[in-house]
Amino acid sequence: MVIEFFDVNDRESPKNVTALRVVGQGQTITVNTLADRTNLNLITVPLKTSEDRTGFLLISNSDDNDDGSEIGNIDTVTFDYARLEDFKSRACGFIVNYEELTGTLQTDTNNWIQEVEIIRSEIINSDSTHVKIYH
Amino acid sequence: MLKYIISLAFFLGIISLAAQSKSIDTQSKDTVVYEQAYGLRVGIDLSRLVMSSLNENYTGLELVGDYRITQDLYLAAELGNENKTQQEDLYEFNTTGSYLKIGVDRNTYANWYGEQNLIFYGGRLGFSTFGNTINNYQIFDNNRYWNPEGFATASETPEEFNGRTASWIEALFGTKVELLPNIYLGASIRLGFLFTDANEGRFPILYVPGFNKVTWDSKFGVGYNYSISYFLPLYKKKNKVKKIAGEAVE
Repeated sequence: MVIEFFDVNDRESPKNVTALRVVGQGQTITVNTLADRTNLNLITVPLKTSEDRTGFLLISNSDDNDDGSEIGNIDTVTFDYARLEDFKSRACGFIVNYEELTGTLQTDTNNWIQEVEIIRSEIINSDSTHVKIYH
Repeated sequence: MLKYIISLAFFLGIISLAAQSKSIDTQSKDTVVYEQAYGLRVGIDLSRLVMSSLNENYTGLELVGDYRITQDLYLAAELGNENKTQQEDLYEFNTTGSYLKIGVDRNTYANWYGEQNLIFYGGRLGFSTFGNTINNYQIFDNNRYWNPEGFATASETPEEFNGRTASWIEALFGTKVELLPNIYLGASIRLGFLFTDANEGRFPILYVPGFNKVTWDSKFGVGYNYSISYFLPLYKKKNKVKKIAGEAVE
């Protein structure tokens, strides 16, 4: 799934997230598809193939304090979808495509994310942007 | 004495004249006619028997038969049944079904006197009815973030696809050698072209009984058999002599 970050005040212009770190909800390691703690405006994240919901902790200005705990701003976005199994090839077997994608931002006292917008609700490949996040 | 010699010479001359008067037949007709046996040959495919005993994931049986209709031409058929379970990387499936192939073989081998061997080419129309079962499968994902230990198991419950059919044509090349009187050992290799669209539906056709493996994105397949068969002679018929073109007809 491809997520692009835009400026909430100028909705057409991409805007980097400073020192972005992405952790899958329930995981202890960062997502392996992007460089950790770099300034990015476009990321690709993997969705679960075995469940209809995947959550991500999106952390801006990510950094550790002296005792190793995160001091960046953590926002949680949950994606819900329906999974469609598709027989890809003799070698691969079945893969999962996604449809009816929705994204929900968990509100907290200090959200850095302002809005989550679904651009394409079907995910068959990673060629185009599926989600726009304004901040 | 001279008189005797003269009369003997005269006599011999008459004999020789008499013998000469009847021309020598240098092209006498051979009255022994060689008749070729015509009949039905039935047998069984040995390779499927051997595979069934060696491979616990396979059982198969194929009956083969041909019926001689002319000097070179045979009507031929195969009737079989296969049950095969295959474990691929991320899924295991079973194919069970029956098949029938009907066609002709043309012998190209010029037998010596008394021989009845075949080196033949032929064609078949094949038809199979079968069912698939996916025993279990996992979901392939090129990113392993959520499942570092292995691919996510999607189902352990067998899922059945019944009532599937496939048809194809086959070109084959083979031989049948008379090993003992009326006992033939045969082998053939086959190139098939599948008519049926293998990629329809949720689970594609990956194996067709009789056709063999269906290669991804290809209509072609290869097969073989090794048969042992018994020839049941029904009647004998003389081989028709072919007239050579241009030869004067008397």
